Amino acid sequence: MKKRASSRQISEFVWGWVFILPTMLGLFVLNIYPMIDTIRQSFYKTGDFGKGNIFVGMANYKKVMGDTEVWQALWNTAKYALVEVPFSIVIALLLAVVLNKKLKGRSVFRTLFFLPMVVAPAAIAMVWKWLYNSNFGLINNVFGIKVNWISNPDIAIFSIAVIGIWSVLGYNMVLFLAGLQEVPRDYYEAAALDGANGWRQLINITVPLISPTIFFVLVTRIIAAMQVFDLIYMMIDLNNPAWKKTESLVYLFYKYSFEQSKKGYGATVVVVLLAVIMVLTVFQLVGQKKWVHYE
Amino acid sequence: MKKKILAVLLSAVTALSVIACGGNTASTSEPAAAEPAPKEEPAATVEEAEPTSIGSSVEGELTVTIWDEGQRPGLQQIVDEWSAQSGVKATIQVVDWNNYWTLLEAGATGGELPDVFWMHSNVAQKYMENDLLLDLTDRIAASDKIDLNNYYQGIVNLYQSNGKQYAVPKDIDTIALWYNKTIFDEMGVPYPDDTWTWADFKENAKKLTNENHWGYAIAPGNNQEGYYNTIYSMGGYVISDDKKKSGMDDPKSIEAVKLFTDMIAEGSCPDLATVSETAPNELLCAGKVAMSINGSWMLAGYRDNEYAAANCDVAVLPYTNDPSDRVSIYNGLGWAAAANGKNLDAAWSLIEHLCSKEGQLKQAELGVTMSAYEGTSDAWVNSVSMFDLNGHMKMLDAKLVFRPYSRDTTVWEDMMIEKLQDAWTGARPVDEVCKEIAEEMNADLAEE
Amino acid sequence: MKKTISQAVIYLILILVSIIMIVPFVWMFLTAFKTTAETTQIDPFVIVPAVWQTQNFSNVVKAMDFVRLYANTLGMIALRILCAVLTATLSGYAFARLEFKGKNIMFGVVLLQMMIPVQIFIIPQYVMVSKLHMTNTLFGLLFPGLVTAFGTFLLRQAFMQLPKDLEEAARLDGCNIPKTFLYVMAPLTKSAMVALGIFTAVFAYKDLMWPMIVCPDNRATTLASALAKMNGQYQQKYPELMMAALISCVPMIVIYIIFQKQFIEGIATSGGKL
Repeated sequence: MKKRASSRQISEFVWGWVFILPTMLGLFVLNIYPMIDTIRQSFYKTGDFGKGNIFVGMANYKKVMGDTEVWQALWNTAKYALVEVPFSIVIALLLAVVLNKKLKGRSVFRTLFFLPMVVAPAAIAMVWKWLYNSNFGLINNVFGIKVNWISNPDIAIFSIAVIGIWSVLGYNMVLFLAGLQEVPRDYYEAAALDGANGWRQLINITVPLISPTIFFVLVTRIIAAMQVFDLIYMMIDLNNPAWKKTESLVYLFYKYSFEQSKKGYGATVVVVLLAVIMVLTVFQLVGQKKWVHYE
Repeated sequence: MKKKILAVLLSAVTALSVIACGGNTASTSEPAAAEPAPKEEPAATVEEAEPTSIGSSVEGELTVTIWDEGQRPGLQQIVDEWSAQSGVKATIQVVDWNNYWTLLEAGATGGELPDVFWMHSNVAQKYMENDLLLDLTDRIAASDKIDLNNYYQGIVNLYQSNGKQYAVPKDIDTIALWYNKTIFDEMGVPYPDDTWTWADFKENAKKLTNENHWGYAIAPGNNQEGYYNTIYSMGGYVISDDKKKSGMDDPKSIEAVKLFTDMIAEGSCPDLATVSETAPNELLCAGKVAMSINGSWMLAGYRDNEYAAANCDVAVLPYTNDPSDRVSIYNGLGWAAAANGKNLDAAWSLIEHLCSKEGQLKQAELGVTMSAYEGTSDAWVNSVSMFDLNGHMKMLDAKLVFRPYSRDTTVWEDMMIEKLQDAWTGARPVDEVCKEIAEEMNADLAEE
Repeated sequence: MKKTISQAVIYLILILVSIIMIVPFVWMFLTAFKTTAETTQIDPFVIVPAVWQTQNFSNVVKAMDFVRLYANTLGMIALRILCAVLTATLSGYAFARLEFKGKNIMFGVVLLQMMIPVQIFIIPQYVMVSKLHMTNTLFGLLFPGLVTAFGTFLLRQAFMQLPKDLEEAARLDGCNIPKTFLYVMAPLTKSAMVALGIFTAVFAYKDLMWPMIVCPDNRATTLASALAKMNGQYQQKYPELMMAALISCVPMIVIYIIFQKQFIEGIATSGGKL
């Protein structure tokens, strides 16, 4: 432990900091400072436009603990994430593996699957709202059923998760494709010579080799799913019977901070969300040692 | 993906904007507290002495920000007239409803508000109390074009705080009964007119219902286009005049809500799931309902929809016992200026022009909206040919009740909308729900 | 024989997924050419417009100065990609391959940034741009995209996926750290950089709130924000809105197709070297 730093170590230290400096500088100014400010606000009953804040200590946190709306929102968010994340990852991974092979028309398929990524969110919400509409929607009319996809409290959040999967598939797929490009081809050639079939190749070669990418997708998707807001905000409004069962934590934050001018309480909700996401991420960081293979 | 989430905040234009706008409410405290304005802006008055010199000393141009693209072309014409007189250029920027308030909030926090912009009852109090809006009191007193007595009082009061006036009324809206003539003809029901009572309305809705369409569709999230009108028409109230007590447990208020829950129960009004997925105005444009109660701000939407233009028209709202209790819940925007603007005189001059009798007449004539200056809206009726806008115009002669508000209206209003769901679905009796609303609302009001 | 069957199954699945992916899109396309009445008409349910309303296109195009908007948008996208790829490759490499004090804490900060809902950044960031008097400028549009925590994380994972021996070899050859990074390691993460480029472009492109707030002036703003403004508050002109959405997709699809070529080339280069 008491070894003198070798020149290599010194050089790594210096270059390491030089390399991360631009990013860290930007993050601190653009993101960390606003975050600290938000955390500070969570201890205040805030006035308008950042003026006239009154320090209230832990009062906001005590209120959050007893606020059933917050817990319901957390549960709604969790339900959304539990559907969106696994499905979008598994489907996208399979698609990426298939589309990474020499296949006629693969670039057409890749482009098709990527399409939802380039559509304005407002348009996505509008089109799906129309498709889901229980009376006039394409889905119910084509299949001759009568399901209240987005106004039945029991299924609305899952209907929204389906849109989530639909719109995020292209994102996951592009990342997996990128990861697959970095897998040396000779691994597969060797496996093919050993007579491994496609499925075995997938499980035994592909998944372990691109596990850092899978890990990345998993972490970022969970974080993003926990922050779901846009879809819900555009699909569900206050008079929807499913509203209470679809309101997410960020929605709640938005409501308090931007609609009801209770920035302090809104900040508290964000801090709770932040804590939840942090716990989830730390679990994954610890758990990755079991399944993520770095070279 | 963060950017995506972000993007949405504001792009959620479609579904929510209509409700956000019509459904939310005012937050102004004690607007009628009419102490004469303390004089404390001497600088402003000095400049007022020579109003004609504005243009010459000015460089650059004014930024004017609004949220309704439908009104931009007409308003730009009026602004251009002003530019020709004053020599100051002014361009109108349109930012949609949700972005608009984030933009203003960011501007207010960062010290960069537009020069001239719209104010709304939801947030007016907050902006006035924090001195973000230019105090117009002395300028109005010195003006020969603006006399606040000429405008609908509820709107004037809305933009007052501590005896100071922070915005000049721009427009007024009224609520009226839009209906589908084709369905009325088909079902052999005479068109609605000023003899209808709310009981007739309910009765006829039943007659207009068959397997293809409903008689009427309620907008459960939009009180201004719904139960607030019947509550005040039937003699109930939403909030007491001193803003301390809820009137939702008043038997007459409960009866007014019951009118609509009965219709849902009878099937002459679609259930909550249907109207929450497809707004009443969309149902009307789809030929799925015979009647819809809407504010005058919906005109552009109906005008531009070919089906509605061909099949629909508009009549006054029904009354309860006597034509004198015909009620329209109204609201109105105000033109305000930034307190720290670069060219306050030009900003004021523009507001003065927009709100002058000529400006208000022109606004109605061009079909932008009905004007807040009393007696200038007649021309609005002729701004479109396909509808008889007298339905909305005549509501100006009905009992005008300003949209109920307190300082933090959205808090209890959201709660009310949420709780009323149980009444619409029939899960719980109306009186029980209303009493619970009143209780919670009283608690909210006590906290303000 | 077995191979053709499995091929057929794969195609079947691909086509099925394609249909699901594309139906909303087709619907959007059809809606863009309908009349407003047709979009709300249910009885009969209108699938294909009776008359293709091409004036929806001209209405949308007439409403704004497209050349300028494209210039602003592409300028913003180019700058954001440049900043993102540059800073993220550097920091991603350092986090993946270098050992230095404070690394873990700093990486924690990177992760932390991703955990915060973006809504809380907007107003503080706007205040900064406003204090710099940079509202309504290209710099204002670029501002939140100067650095990227997402990209840093992505590139870190890409670098970690590379075999260690490459670096060892370079080091034994006497390459110092910047040289190893520049000539040996960075070229191998081309695919990740392309993916980052695609995402940066897509998200910058779709972003509405920031350009609207920081560049409310129509001459300085982006395509997406100008299109969104078309949607006045009370009107519901679905066809025009869908048309606007359609027009706004096209450049992104082109960019994607161009980038996708890079992917395939990526196979050739990295595959050859390994």
